[in-house]
Parts: sequence; C-alpha cells; structure tokens
Amino acid sequence: MKKEEKTIEEIEKMLQEVDQKKEEYFLGWQREKADFLNYKKQEFERLKGTLCIAKESVFEEIIPILDNFRLAEKAISEDDKNNKSVIGLLMIKKQLEDALKALGLEEIESIGKPFDPSSHEAIEEVENGEAGIVTEEIEKGYYYNGKVLRPSKVKVGK
Amino acid sequence: MTKVLGIDLGTAITKSASIVNGEPKALENREGSILTPSIIAQTKGGERVVGILAQRQAITNPKNTISAVKRFIGRRFSDPEVQKELKLLPYETREKSDGGVEVKMGDKWYNPIEISSMILQKIKADAKDKLGEDVKNVVITCPANFDDSQRKATIAAGEIAGFNVLRVINEPTAAALAYGFGKKDAQKILVYDFGGGTFDVTILDVSPEVVEVLATGGEAHLGGNDFDQKIIDWILAEFKKEQGIDLFKDALALQRLKEAAEKAKTELSSAMETNINLPFITSDADGPKHLEYKLSRSQFDSMTSDLIAKSIDRVEKTLKEIKMDKSEINEVILVGGTTLVPAAREAVKNFFGKEPNKSINPEEVVAIGAAIEAEILTAKEEGRTPEGDIKSVLLLDVLPLSLGIETLGGVSTPMITKNTTVPTTGSQVFSTAVDNQPSVEINVLQGERSMAADNRSLGKFILDGIPPAPRGIPQVEVKFDIDANGVLTVTAIDKASNKSQSIKVEGSIGISKEDIEKMKKDAEVHAADDQKKKESIEAKNIADNLIYQSEKTIKDAGDKVTAEAKKEVEDKIAELKNIKDGDNIEEIKKKTEELSQAIQKVGAAMYQAQQQTQEPKKEEGPESAPEAETEKE
Repeated sequence: MKKEEKTIEEIEKMLQEVDQKKEEYFLGWQREKADFLNYKKQEFERLKGTLCIAKESVFEEIIPILDNFRLAEKAISEDDKNNKSVIGLLMIKKQLEDALKALGLEEIESIGKPFDPSSHEAIEEVENGEAGIVTEEIEKGYYYNGKVLRPSKVKVGK
Repeated sequence: MTKVLGIDLGTAITKSASIVNGEPKALENREGSILTPSIIAQTKGGERVVGILAQRQAITNPKNTISAVKRFIGRRFSDPEVQKELKLLPYETREKSDGGVEVKMGDKWYNPIEISSMILQKIKADAKDKLGEDVKNVVITCPANFDDSQRKATIAAGEIAGFNVLRVINEPTAAALAYGFGKKDAQKILVYDFGGGTFDVTILDVSPEVVEVLATGGEAHLGGNDFDQKIIDWILAEFKKEQGIDLFKDALALQRLKEAAEKAKTELSSAMETNINLPFITSDADGPKHLEYKLSRSQFDSMTSDLIAKSIDRVEKTLKEIKMDKSEINEVILVGGTTLVPAAREAVKNFFGKEPNKSINPEEVVAIGAAIEAEILTAKEEGRTPEGDIKSVLLLDVLPLSLGIETLGGVSTPMITKNTTVPTTGSQVFSTAVDNQPSVEINVLQGERSMAADNRSLGKFILDGIPPAPRGIPQVEVKFDIDANGVLTVTAIDKASNKSQSIKVEGSIGISKEDIEKMKKDAEVHAADDQKKKESIEAKNIADNLIYQSEKTIKDAGDKVTAEAKKEVEDKIAELKNIKDGDNIEEIKKKTEELSQAIQKVGAAMYQAQQQTQEPKKEEGPESAPEAETEKE
C-alpha cells in the first residue's frame, strides 16, 4: 500500500513538472509565432526601406557628378558663355538635375538662411556677412524621403 | 522581455547595439548612421546639439563644442597626461575643487561625466525611436586600461542619462564575447584594435567564469586618419610636380581632397585600383586645373606599410612584456574600421600564421559584445533564457543534407533541400513512366549528388493499385514531413484512387558529422560529372517522351496525314531511337529537336485539315450543335 502511495506522489510531482514544461513550451511557441508574424510585418517595412536605401546609394554616386558639373559651370569664362557647345553641356546638367528631382531628391536651401546644423555643415566663418547667416554655399545639400541625405557645405557670417 | 543596449562609448565615436529578433544588431541613430560622433555643443542660439549636428557646427563655434571628453573622465586635472591633452583643446577647461577636470560650454562649467551622459542620453532617445520602447538596462564598454575611478565615472554617466548600468566591461572583452569565445575552455585571445585615431592591443585569458586581462599596449596617435593623410600627401606632391601648384594652401581644395582620399581608401578595400577624379580642383592664369590619378592597391600598401609595421611591432612588444610566444595565442580578433584595410588583415594573418576573426563588422563588434552581455545579465535577473539562445532550448535543427526521391533514369530529385530548419514539409506531384504502370517505387534518398545511386537510400516502398492509364497521366503526390525530432515520414498518394502508402525513417538528421562532411565533399568534387550525367538522362527522358508522343500521334492520325509526312516522322523516330541511349547529349538534343519539328508539322497539317472540314459545317448553322453531341459520345 505504502509503495503505491509514494508512486502517486511521484506521479503528481511528474505531472506538475510536465505541466510546467508544457506551459513553458506553449508560451515559447506562442511567442515564436508572434515573433514570426511581427517579423513578416517588419520585413514588409524593411522592403520599403530597402527601396529607399537602394535609391540613396544611387544618389550618392550621382550627386558628386552634379557637383563637378556645377564647378565646371562656375569656371566658364565670360567669352565662352554664349558658345553653343557650352550651352548644350549646361542643358545636360539641367537634365541631370531634373532627373534626380523626379526621383525624389530635394535641394536644401541655404544662402541667406540662418545656419542650422541639422541641414548645413559649416566649412568656414567669414567676416563679411550677417552673424549666423549662411553667406555662401560651397556644395549643395539634399533631402531625400524626409531625411538629410547630405548637408549643404556652407560659409557662415561671423 | 526588457530590451537592452550595449554601448561602445568611444573617444571620437559612440556606437550602440541591441538584441533584435534574437540576433544582436548595431542600431542606427536618428540621422541614419551607426556611428554617433562623441561631440556635444551649445549652439550660438543656446540650443544643445549632440553627435553629427554638433560636428557640423564645430567650426563656427569651437569654444562651445566639446569633443574627446573621454580622455578626462575620472581623471585628475594635475595628471601630466591630462595636462598634455588639455593643451590641444579648443574649449576651456579648469581644475575642479575635488581635483578633477571641468569643461566650459556656454556660460556653464560641466564635469566630463555630465558631458558623457549627454551623449548617452542621445543614444537612449535614438534607441527608443528605433526599438519602440524605452531602454533601461545597459552594458557600457571602456578601454582595458581604465582604472577604478574612470570606470566609476563611466557608470555615473550612464546613470545620469537614466540607464540602469548593469556592468562596465572592457572593449576587447566585449569583442571576445561577440565571438562567443571562452564558453567551454579557457582561451588566450589577442584583440587587435585599429581605430580611426588610436591603435590598441590587448591579450586576454578568457574562460567560462572569468576574463583576465594579461597585457595591454597601444599607440595613442596611430589610426585610419594616418592612412588618409598618406594618400593626401601623395596627391599633393604629385600635383605640385605636374602643375607647380601647392593645393595645401587652398582650404576648399584640401577639403575635397580629404573626402576623395577617404573614398579611395575605402574602395581599395575591395578593388585593386581606384580613380581619384577631382575636376576644377583649382585654377590659375591659364584656366581651370583638373586632378586625375590612378591609385593601385599595391601603391597604397607600400605608402602605408610603415603604419602597419608599427602596429605589428606594438603587438610583438606587448607579447614580449608577458613573455608570451605568438603561438600561444588561440584566437586573434580584429576590431576597428582600419582593420578593413586588406594589408592590415594580411599582416596580422602572416604574423600569427592563422586567420584572424573578422566575420563581425569590426566597427560594431564591441557594441554587439556589450549587447550580448547586457542580454545575458538581464535574462538572469528575470529568470529567463537569453534571447538568441532560444534555439538551444527548442532544439530547432537544420537538415544537414538534402532529402529526395529517385525519379526516371536514376536521377535524384530533391524534396527538401539542406539547411532547411525543421519541423518542415515538402510535396511534389509525380507520374508514371510507362503506359498502364500499376505501381510506383518510392526510393527515399539523402545526399547532394545528382544521381540516386551516389546518394544514400534511407528506405523504399511501393505504391500499387494505380488504375491503368497512359504514361504521364496518373498523379502521385509524394509528401515529405520531418518532425522536430528528425523523424521523416514519406507518404505517396495516388490522386485518382486515393490509395496511399507511407514509410517512417528515424534519424534523418542524426547522421554522423564525418558522414555529412564526406557526402558534402563528394557532392562538390563530383558536381560537374553529376551535372553531365543528369543532363544526359534528362535528354534521354525528353527523347523517350517525344518518341512515345510521336508514335501515338501518327497512330491516332491514321490516314489524316500524308504518307510523305508520316514517313518523315517515322524516319526521325528511327534516327532518334538509334542514338538516344548513347553518350552524345548534343546529338540527342539535335535529333529530338528535328523530330519535334517534324511532328509539329504533322500536327499543324492535321489542325488545318480539321478546320477545313469544319468550315462547311459552320455554314449549315444550327445543325452543328447535335453534331457536337455525337462527338462527345
């Protein structure tokens, strides 16, 4: 008889342990399932994000080309300004600007605006000009998708 | 489950990581970068900015832009080393009443602890943005040579920022944790940390219970910036030689050069050569000047060899200090962005005669290790299993080798490919190979080879009672199901009769490691051969099928085809039959194509003939309907 009682105790203990394990596994399984559903949602968001990142990396490669176009434009002498070939080349520059704009790239305004480190990067402080106001833009900055892709490099009045 | 953070609070750059979906991951800040400059500023408008924003306004506001405060945290003002550093600063400092350092920003004096806490506050806010919840529990890292007072100050900075600092651990220790070293046996680990501005080497003795720092060494001013400078100096010299113009005096040109040099260095990590193109870099009386150079990796390597030699020299000295031989080092870990330079990796590999650990991004590895430690400590506190270790509890195995069945011609057709996480199922529909075939044999295979004979057969069974039908018509669905214990159940069902047969195979996962490796190697070695064999069998199968179809078409067509066309098809069939069992795949394909064209011609002719016979009927109008009915019968 005694032996049997002990067995029941043992069984009860086992049952308790099994129950505990079941609970643990069940919760873990639920969590895993929830994690998976969340993961799917996140994956969708990530896909959207990936598209943006892909565009960003294209912008990062193309913008320096546009920078150089602008430098070239600045270097054109007065005599050459009416040269038809030069005008044609500048039309290509405009075409490039328009294409980037169509893809969602926005220019950051800087000249005459108060210096703002969230979209401007100060390269130099200059004596002539109003204090704290951007006097010159060295390199254009851009927004893409509501984010600063690259800040404008500017000179600021002292 | 409480979210945690690991923070690599650096002198120049701070990084953070967390556990996301069970995996440690470096977190981006609000500006979209993993790197946050350890810079604080009070702008002229009185606003406080941190990180990249502080860096962007630094030049207009040097007195109120505080950087590199880590050099002073928990240290005495009178310390000669501190005194040396203080002389280089653009901002004001003074001795605090307790002997520490104070820095001035705006009109207020701050303790370095407060400044560090402002950086940590930004990390906290950005992490909340990213993870969607407030983070309390953190592990922060510090250099191995930080003393007790510096560590206490680091903890204080974390607490002021609103964190619960679980522990401050050494940066090299965090790197070792990220790689999971010392979990089983004690290991001697050397951490080679080549950052942007400093080089550090640390030798650790890592065991499951304790991590001991055996030695540290470093160069306070040796880093990635020196590599950039070498490129800049080279371009400046070349340009002067060619154009006679010194770009060093031109601030804007220099700025462009700096960016180009950094880009070139990064590109040379993967490319063997890079172009440095800077049109309109400057101009003189003759007009605009352009700069264009090619820089090869070997040129770059020879320019920077002294820098790398200096780091290896420091490694040697540090080993010597504790009288340790390099052969006693079990593992070498690469930390810091400069270790992405291939020559640096190569030098470390050659020095130790073994491959260093570099699979985790060297810029993130410290923060990742800290995040892992934070998760382990938090899980312990909460009495749960650390996230990321869940796999070991649930024992979710992956299939070591592909499972499949044998199909026509002895080809092994995979049903579930290797590396699939189990439990899982896979099914596919197959058919018969000959007319009126009453049964199919399912031979369950394991392995990566293309031919069934080369793979291991786990078991066979026969599904019979398939109703008589021409070949290709019956649909037999074969289903593979593996449960979490690796028990494989293969079921075959004939869809017409619903008859099914199945087999259970135990231990489809539990195969010895040696066997797995052997089978994988075999597959690699024989990949080309197998592919050829498989192609030849496939070609033969296609040929067989076409012969069968063609013979059937000709028979069914009866006198609807001209004798001439019939003869052509029959000739082509004979030709194909002659060669189809040979080894010449190209020839089989060619003859198959010829027969295919011949039979298509017959088909087209038959179709046309049918249309012609139908056309007059159409004119009869409504009477075509009953005609159709009789056809049905």
